[in-house]
Amino acid sequence: MRSEAEIRTRLRSFVRRRAGDRPVSDSTPLLADRILRSVHVPELILLLERLRGAPIDVERLRPGDFDSIDAIVERFGPAS
Amino acid sequence: MNRLADLTRIGLRWDPSGLAGLTGPLLAVADDLDLAFRRLAGRWRAVEERYPAALPAPPLADHLRCFPHQVTFPVALDPADDNLGEFADGPVVGADGRVALTRTAPVTAVLTPAACYHVYAGHRGERLTGARYLTTRNTCFRRETRYLALRRQWSFAMREIVCLGTPDEAASFLAVARADVDQLAALIDLPLAWTPATDPFFRPADNPGYLLQRIAPTKYEATYDGRLAVGSANLHHDHFGTAFDIERDGRPATSACVAFGIERWLYALTDRHGTDPAGWPDLPAAATRVVAGWPR
Repeated sequence: MRSEAEIRTRLRSFVRRRAGDRPVSDSTPLLADRILRSVHVPELILLLERLRGAPIDVERLRPGDFDSIDAIVERFGPAS
Repeated sequence: MNRLADLTRIGLRWDPSGLAGLTGPLLAVADDLDLAFRRLAGRWRAVEERYPAALPAPPLADHLRCFPHQVTFPVALDPADDNLGEFADGPVVGADGRVALTRTAPVTAVLTPAACYHVYAGHRGERLTGARYLTTRNTCFRRETRYLALRRQWSFAMREIVCLGTPDEAASFLAVARADVDQLAALIDLPLAWTPATDPFFRPADNPGYLLQRIAPTKYEATYDGRLAVGSANLHHDHFGTAFDIERDGRPATSACVAFGIERWLYALTDRHGTDPAGWPDLPAAATRVVAGWPR
């Protein structure tokens, strides 16, 4: 499991590559603002699995889990 | 209580292969249901559109990948004389009920999986300066592993109301439509609850659409008595706007739809109110009361 700071850094990089010229913060609603779309979700899950060093059971995903970088870290970060 | 024998007595003509016919009181109430839903569609002055039973396959490639287990294709014989002759001179239909097909023509269409798909294809390339509201009804086809009369059918009727607009217009449409359905259900004493749902994707764990529905629900089902989805409210974001080049003020249109499964409403009505038509609520009148309350 990487540190929270490392996970945030990697997530910001992942999101910014897909955000184009739109500004993104850790609280930006990624799905509601259509910065991330369905095609990005499997990639994001793979990235999180690498950062966590553990698989993610998609049947346990819940609404809100990927709402923002903050939400992702809270759900899948070191403190989860 | 709506056992098959009781439903047959009031007009169900059920074939266990998943096909239902309606006649008599059940047909009359099915027509009343459709009229009630069209009255609800009147809130948005939704324009009625009518489409055929099948639609061309190419724009549905994504759907075919996501739901190959549910799709039904219209198949025709290769029209060459020798091929048609071989078919006509053969057993045609075997003792097991299987059609003894000879060579088939290329399959290029899909039997309607959802009524609203036609609407997006029918508005391809449009440049909208305001929200558009459409309503349509079609016979839809979905293969299942087992069939239950009125509840889970291979072929069934679906009425839909569709919004093409901005994200805010689509969200507002869904909120209002759900409230109207709630009010209609209350007036006819049908216990309905909206619950988040996912579509039955093939290999769901590998499907981006399924994963997105789990983390950001875009589909809510109106569930009768906690056990049967009789309708759904769906937000497609700009999926169809992009796929069919429909723009609203220069951006891919957002689409949303509310769908009603007519046979499932018949099941719910007869389960709740019995199979004696004298005990059934006046559906068009209830819809008129909903309409009369606008704007709330």
